[in-house]
Amino acid sequence: MAQSVPSQTNDLEKMSSRSSGIRIFKWTLLSPLICLALFLLPVFILQLYFAFHSWTIYLSSWSAAEYVGIELFQEALQDKRFFWAVARSLLFASLSTIGCFVFGLILALLMYRPFRGHGFFYIVFILPMLTVPIVIAYTCDMLLYRAGPINGFLSTIFGTEMRFTWLSNPDFAIFTVVMLEIWNWTPFTFIILIAGLSSIPKEPLEAARILGANRLKIFMEIQLPLLRPVIFLALILRFLEAMAEFPKTWGLLQGGPGSATETIPIYLYLITWQFFDISKAAATSYVVMLIMIFVILFAIRILRKEKQSMDTLYSVRSSGS
Amino acid sequence: MANKKIKRRNILKAGLGAAAVGSGLLGKVGTVSAGPEEDKIVTSAKRLQPAAMNGMMWSLYWRNYPKLNKEYKKATGSYMAKVNDVPNLLIPQRAMAEAISRSGKFDIFHVESMMIPSLVAAGLAEPLDDYMKQANFDLKMVGNFEKFMQYKGVTYAMPTDGNVCPHFIRKDLFDDPDERKKFADKHGKELKWPVTFEDELEMAKFFHRPEKDLYGFGGLRDKANSSFWFWQYLYAAGGFPISDDAEPQLTTPAAHYAIDTFLALKQVSHPEASAWGSPQMIPRLVGGKIFSCQYWDGIIAKIESPTAKSPTRGKFYYGLVPGSKFSGKLIHRAFSAPVMGIVVNKYSPRKRQAAHWALYMSTLKNSTSVVGHPTMTFHDPWHPGHMNAKSTLDVYTKQGMKAVHDCLQVTTPPPYLTGYHEFKEAVDKNLSEAYNGQKSGKQALQDMQSRWSKIVRKIGKRTIKKEIPYYKGMMPKVNVPS
Repeated sequence: MAQSVPSQTNDLEKMSSRSSGIRIFKWTLLSPLICLALFLLPVFILQLYFAFHSWTIYLSSWSAAEYVGIELFQEALQDKRFFWAVARSLLFASLSTIGCFVFGLILALLMYRPFRGHGFFYIVFILPMLTVPIVIAYTCDMLLYRAGPINGFLSTIFGTEMRFTWLSNPDFAIFTVVMLEIWNWTPFTFIILIAGLSSIPKEPLEAARILGANRLKIFMEIQLPLLRPVIFLALILRFLEAMAEFPKTWGLLQGGPGSATETIPIYLYLITWQFFDISKAAATSYVVMLIMIFVILFAIRILRKEKQSMDTLYSVRSSGS
Repeated sequence: MANKKIKRRNILKAGLGAAAVGSGLLGKVGTVSAGPEEDKIVTSAKRLQPAAMNGMMWSLYWRNYPKLNKEYKKATGSYMAKVNDVPNLLIPQRAMAEAISRSGKFDIFHVESMMIPSLVAAGLAEPLDDYMKQANFDLKMVGNFEKFMQYKGVTYAMPTDGNVCPHFIRKDLFDDPDERKKFADKHGKELKWPVTFEDELEMAKFFHRPEKDLYGFGGLRDKANSSFWFWQYLYAAGGFPISDDAEPQLTTPAAHYAIDTFLALKQVSHPEASAWGSPQMIPRLVGGKIFSCQYWDGIIAKIESPTAKSPTRGKFYYGLVPGSKFSGKLIHRAFSAPVMGIVVNKYSPRKRQAAHWALYMSTLKNSTSVVGHPTMTFHDPWHPGHMNAKSTLDVYTKQGMKAVHDCLQVTTPPPYLTGYHEFKEAVDKNLSEAYNGQKSGKQALQDMQSRWSKIVRKIGKRTIKKEIPYYKGMMPKVNVPS
């Protein structure tokens, strides 16, 4: 009895030092975020001020700006040009996300099992992601000339002269930028999916192989369901990033031809730095932020559901074994 | 008779004295050889505390200035110590960002003169007339061109680049007897220098041979530059984009003529022209793939400079831009844009030194050395003295300089109003959409008109109304150059 008291005290001390260690660890992780938030807070507050006051750079001082309430938000929501910019951004982000996912998955399936030369191919496949976007824009500007190498290559393959105008055709320009985005960011989904594929337990796959399932069946019925949370994560992250794409679109086309590639970031840039309409830009930015918050909340809901279903699956398996 | 021995000490003393007088004289000779304009500026600048200054200028422009900067430093102690390399297209945004923050970090901005109204409205631009008076400096530019450096009668910038666009025609094709005969047979008249835009289109159609990689017209049709040509057509048709009452006038018959002319040239342009800027068009022009166009006069230097190994050297005619008889009389209008100038930052603690530096760079002697450089050809002539200077004649050729001079007499600005970039974007976007078939020319004009009305309301009708007389005052005094 007398001997159990010191061990209980030791356990309590251990527990208390462990929980304080966890607390310190949490604050250490959060502190950069808190510092960043504090640093950005004045910017957000100032932007909020501009969103409710009508101010352009031609007014003497921003403190003299007139209070206009939600007028600027109403203007943003009624702005046809903004509506079309949102539509183009959604189209661009959706197509490029799907493209990145398809090609990323193919590459991940080819690469998740080690083979000779694996490292070399891995580096080659992630190189596009390491290329500076504006460099991609200027290089592709030359590659995509009517008489340029891309059309030349296609002419060779198809045996007929291809003189497609990739950039000056307003119906196709946005798809050209989608293709560049897919080339640039497929490695991102590739990395996430290859990590997901590598983390799938081997036992179900081996069992399926022993039972005579072919590769397609194994992929469709075992790997894909287990990969779902990772797939959703890759899709959501890619979609959010694609909505913010600016350097390639601006570097290549400046939102043109006409307004064919005028996405949200391009339009916001124009309002802020060509029209110098700081208030309208502030209000429009907040509207965009709200749209993205809805997207993120929807994404979190999906990820939570996926997590729950995976937890259920693993708890059934562990109770079964 | 007593001999006076020449002592070594006396010789040495005499030598020292000679050296002292000599170096003083040499110093004075150095100052005198700079020229009277420069002397006056230096004398005025010497009254100020020497300063190491910061500027914002694209490196392609700055590379003509280090030697002059060094000279100025030697003469006054003040100099441009650091120059931020920012491209022309981005300097307006950067300058406005400095205006918002009321920052005195940059002493000068090398910016297009169309930004002057906006920079003045934003409180950034320092007036220069007082400094000019102190230094007894008189800014001389060809024709009405000095108005491009002014706003409401006050000078706000010192010019560095005239950037007028003369007309270019392929000489070898134009003079070819077979071509001339074919043209005469087809059109029933002799092939002559185009007087009107209709003549230009006719010739461009005749020489448009895409199967031979030769295109009839090579003016820019991308979103960033389209509007410059549109203004040229509008002004030549007797139009003006805004009334005295600040009402947009972009659906007038003259505006319809302008957009019709703009769109008509699509049939003789490269199919990719709508996505091409100067980096794509200049090699085609210099490489001989274009028959005719209006283009920046710096390209004359690129083609004709003795040190440039251009394949088309000697193969171009340069001359007055076509005009229009749409208004009932012949009007020629060239365009100059962007006309680059040095704007001094009002918030800078070194603004007086910066102003004197800007004046020094704009004297006849110094600006001639800048615009007449044989290889660094970004700066183009603007001073009457440039028209006959040996260095500019060598680089631009006599014909080229005559073309520049003629066009400068009838040169016009894009809208010289506060909010220039927003007005410009409204025109660029709609022109680009019309050119790419996304809307008709008529619809494009209506949309421009509607957008301009909103912009005027936003900036303030009163503000815009006050600027219109000065905008109109920049228009040429002649319809046909002398």
